[in-house]
Amino acid sequence: MKWLDKFSENSARSVARQSSRRSFIARIGTLMVGTAAVPLLPVARASNSSRPPAPGESGDPESCDYWRYCAIDGFLCDCCGGSYNTCPPGTTVSPVTWIGTCNNPLDGKDYIISYNDCCGKSSCGRCLCNTNKGDRPVYQPFLSNDINWCAGSTVDVAYNCSTAVVLGLAVAES
Amino acid sequence: MGRHIFHQFICSIALLICCWTVQAEGMSSAHLNYILHCQGCHLSDGAGTPGKIPALRQEVGRFLQVEGGREFLIQVPGTAQSALSDNEVAGVLNWILDNFSPAELPADFVPYTTEEITRHRQPLANVATVRKGLVAQLSTTGTNALLE
Repeated sequence: MKWLDKFSENSARSVARQSSRRSFIARIGTLMVGTAAVPLLPVARASNSSRPPAPGESGDPESCDYWRYCAIDGFLCDCCGGSYNTCPPGTTVSPVTWIGTCNNPLDGKDYIISYNDCCGKSSCGRCLCNTNKGDRPVYQPFLSNDINWCAGSTVDVAYNCSTAVVLGLAVAES
Repeated sequence: MGRHIFHQFICSIALLICCWTVQAEGMSSAHLNYILHCQGCHLSDGAGTPGKIPALRQEVGRFLQVEGGREFLIQVPGTAQSALSDNEVAGVLNWILDNFSPAELPADFVPYTTEEITRHRQPLANVATVRKGLVAQLSTTGTNALLE
């Protein structure tokens, strides 16, 4: 073990000879400032901006009054083994979807909501909501949410429940 | 040392301006209208669903290569019967062509105008037949036959 003692001592002395305490403090300071500045880089922000902003959530996601469900027509996946973002096990999300906007009471902003249906299993039957903001009769099919969106997907037509995924802020630049 | 601090200060200001610029960028109103009125079926990348919903990506611009194709894009059900104003339809059509199918556009392409939308915006009596005719024209011009 003697060689290890000697090696450690020599290394420590060598460092002490080549650096001052002031330079050590300066380098640590630079490192701390640099680390703090990295998240501010525009590159980091740009990569994050492709993701939708996470809205504040308040209320009960198993209630039809929950802010994301302002234009929903169907069974809430939150009551069916999934969540407002995910389908229950054994079902497949339909890529074809009903899209609308809902106002988030926490920040007062409008968000784009995609009501993707979950397909492949028979109706869940729990938490039926029919809030229908912006809904139009089926003779205006592009604005009607009475359509079974599972029919337009590549998966089974059987409808199980609906999610309410936030796609982003419903704000366009002026 | 003073100069060093000055450089750091300038870099910090530049960084802040960059961050602010990136944050201030929003989507265009045409893009927002695409999301709210088209994306539900045509999907965010314009891929559509083969056999059910027509693809826009790398496809839709081809219709402008044949006679009648330009009007056809105004008269398909999703465009003609949408809840958008003529001005908004022009914006969304131009946004779709620019973003999903720029390589297929003819060299002399000029963007849609509001007046043009107003002039041609009547739904087609039989969209499938008109589409078939346009696709047949495309195959005789040597372009790959489209399009589910």
